[in-house]
Amino acid sequence: MNIADYIVSAAKDECTNLLNEQNGVLAVVIASIDGFDLTSAVSGTLDASRIAAMASSIAAIGSVVTQEVHIGASKSVTVNTENGFVYITYVELSGVSHILNVIADKSAVLAQVIYRCSEIGKRLKSI
Amino acid sequence: MKEYKLVFTGTTGAGKTTAITAISEAPPVKTDVTNTDETLNKKSTTVGLDFGQINLANGDRLRLFGTPGQTRFDFMWKILVKDAFGIIILIDNSRPNPLDDLNLYIDGFKQELLTIPCVVGVGRTETHAYPSLDEYSNALEKLNLILPVISVDVRNTEDVNMLISILMAQTEAELI
Repeated sequence: MNIADYIVSAAKDECTNLLNEQNGVLAVVIASIDGFDLTSAVSGTLDASRIAAMASSIAAIGSVVTQEVHIGASKSVTVNTENGFVYITYVELSGVSHILNVIADKSAVLAQVIYRCSEIGKRLKSI
Repeated sequence: MKEYKLVFTGTTGAGKTTAITAISEAPPVKTDVTNTDETLNKKSTTVGLDFGQINLANGDRLRLFGTPGQTRFDFMWKILVKDAFGIIILIDNSRPNPLDDLNLYIDGFKQELLTIPCVVGVGRTETHAYPSLDEYSNALEKLNLILPVISVDVRNTEDVNMLISILMAQTEAELI
């Protein structure tokens, strides 16, 4: 399904705002469930298309784990690293589930990123 | 008990998920999601991995892993092929350039193919006879590879078992 341009534009703005306003955030990528980057805001040489594909894989593997043990649908996956974290969650655009992926260094606060992502999800869902 | 890891790889729609589903003793783990790529005539596509399992009569176990087919998931190829006993490459002969597809996976696993056995299974040959199996062998020979190439319908358990048997035979004959 093609997402309307104005929704993609709004999603792009959300990515850019999160990147610029949240300490430590290095990349924000919104991708289709099957790993195509819809829109993004990245710093440095990070490759949004690669990030989108990887986030898709991680999200899917998270989903099968939760299904396997019958504890409900996966809502997010967090990868904690030595120098930061990767946070992957779901957002809805035009009624279609997409993946929101945030990559951050250790100056970022995970709880703040989670909160911001939740707010982004609400706003994009309402468009 | 020994455990052997087999990896199924190949083009999207070639039947990797189907193959594992056909022979796995338990319902396989699948990471299929809705396909948004309009160039592919598929409703769903694998984005993580497929996983199935077979317990052998002697108590050993085969662990079956399926890779995503698209190259944007090639990072998963490297993860899944680690410590693999063998590789099965499935090619869809109805695609526009099956020999190019074969090259893609040969190149993607070229390091591993130096040391572990591999079998190529070509699907949909009953409706798409070309390239022929000889052409596949010739293409592999140009890459200095001699690999078994057979026609398969991965919906048939017997065909998938045959792929695995050929792989095992290669190891027993130490043809690597």
